[in-house]
Amino acid sequence: MLLTPQGASRSLAAVFTPIKSRGLVDEVCGRIEQAVETGLLTSGQRLPNETELAAALGVSAVTAREALSQLRTSGIIRTARGRNGGSFIADDVLPSRERALDQLRELTRLQISDLGLHYQAIAAACASVAARRSDAADMATLRSFIPSTEEDPLHWRLALSEFLLEVAAIARSARLARELIRLQADLGPLTLLPCADAGYRARTSGLLEEVAAAVEAHQPAAAEAAVKALVAATTDWLLTEQSQRY
Amino acid sequence: MPETTASPGPLTLDAAGELDAAVTGIESRLAAWASETGAALAALSAKVTGTAVDKLIRPVVEELVRAPDSYVAGAGFLANAGLLGPDRSYIAWWQGEEMEHVDALANFSPNSISRYVKSEWFRVPVETGQAHVTGPYVDFLCTDEYVLTFTHPVFCRPDGPVVGIVGMDVTVQRLERGAMPGLRRIGERATLVNSDGRAIVSAAPDIAAGDLAAAEEGCGVYPAGRKCRIWSGATAL
Repeated sequence: MLLTPQGASRSLAAVFTPIKSRGLVDEVCGRIEQAVETGLLTSGQRLPNETELAAALGVSAVTAREALSQLRTSGIIRTARGRNGGSFIADDVLPSRERALDQLRELTRLQISDLGLHYQAIAAACASVAARRSDAADMATLRSFIPSTEEDPLHWRLALSEFLLEVAAIARSARLARELIRLQADLGPLTLLPCADAGYRARTSGLLEEVAAAVEAHQPAAAEAAVKALVAATTDWLLTEQSQRY
Repeated sequence: MPETTASPGPLTLDAAGELDAAVTGIESRLAAWASETGAALAALSAKVTGTAVDKLIRPVVEELVRAPDSYVAGAGFLANAGLLGPDRSYIAWWQGEEMEHVDALANFSPNSISRYVKSEWFRVPVETGQAHVTGPYVDFLCTDEYVLTFTHPVFCRPDGPVVGIVGMDVTVQRLERGAMPGLRRIGERATLVNSDGRAIVSAAPDIAAGDLAAAEEGCGVYPAGRKCRIWSGATAL
């Protein structure tokens, strides 16, 4: 069937959007930020030079140079000149409360609730398939990501995102897993804020147990409901915090 | 549903044999690569460096992924702690015809071994000294695809420590293309499963890759490599 111009307008729109050349640079920056957040690269550590970085990541030297410059601007790396010079991971580089607050100020309520909905949809799909496919080994891994409520906010944030990624891994869907990774990147340091709140940690720790129990008991509907409540706890916390800033 | 007969026909045996040969082919190529790599590492006179490892591994990976009709989507070597430094690993792994260098950023980390020690495909061959098949699982580290990873320990001396592992990623998608015609010949519900009874490829429309399945009562069971099995009939759990 031939689509009428009106009928096709939505699906064709993307074709004519200019292609952004920033994509690759942002991707390189994202990788390095992720390596820092997961502790693979630590403060004070020397980064490879432009040529080595380009070779390692399979990008052009121009892209690597731009990425290093962007990381410098955002304070992730610092550059020293001279014989022992080079690029180093900066000292105060871990996702900070300040950066998270900056991000929260830039977002509208609409953006937060829409992101929350998308996150909920993907996480719920993962949880329901995971509940069908889980085995004993899966459950041991999943439970290892449930943090104790005394852990610090940075650790909590990492554990929460790892927990949801593990749910996607148990679902064994590559597409859903990729989508979840993208969403977590979009959320960025933002999720650090609720993790600093002991009340939020107590609430979510109960929800994490609920998700795990439902996935283990092969109850797709219960797993879906629990994981939706988990994502809603974060979205609601952020929306409440944001409304107090007006 | 057709009754499964006690003695399988020659067509079934042929098809099961072909699938077994395909998986066994991957496993024996890997075993040969592991001993070649061990010998080559032992022969390195100077200290083992990343560059030396790359030089040793890359040509083999290139040959593996670019071979026509190859099942291998990616392959490489991962150093155990000790080979290059105390807490350091080193990953020399490439994927795709474009030879994309996988996880290369980790090689700049002095504590990169922490990144791999928990992964089944690294941990099991290192701890047991035996070849292992991991998955099918979603591989977040390399392909972001649904894969089986075949890994084999590498030794420089027969009685020495495991200095690293060599491995090959086989995507379930490629395996499905290769295995489906044979499975259809074996039976309309014939299923290739891993050692946990999880479906990798199934001729049954209601069994998807990743589902846990059960062998039908009285069905034929045929080996596919060291760990995987073909059930001539299966039901979804």
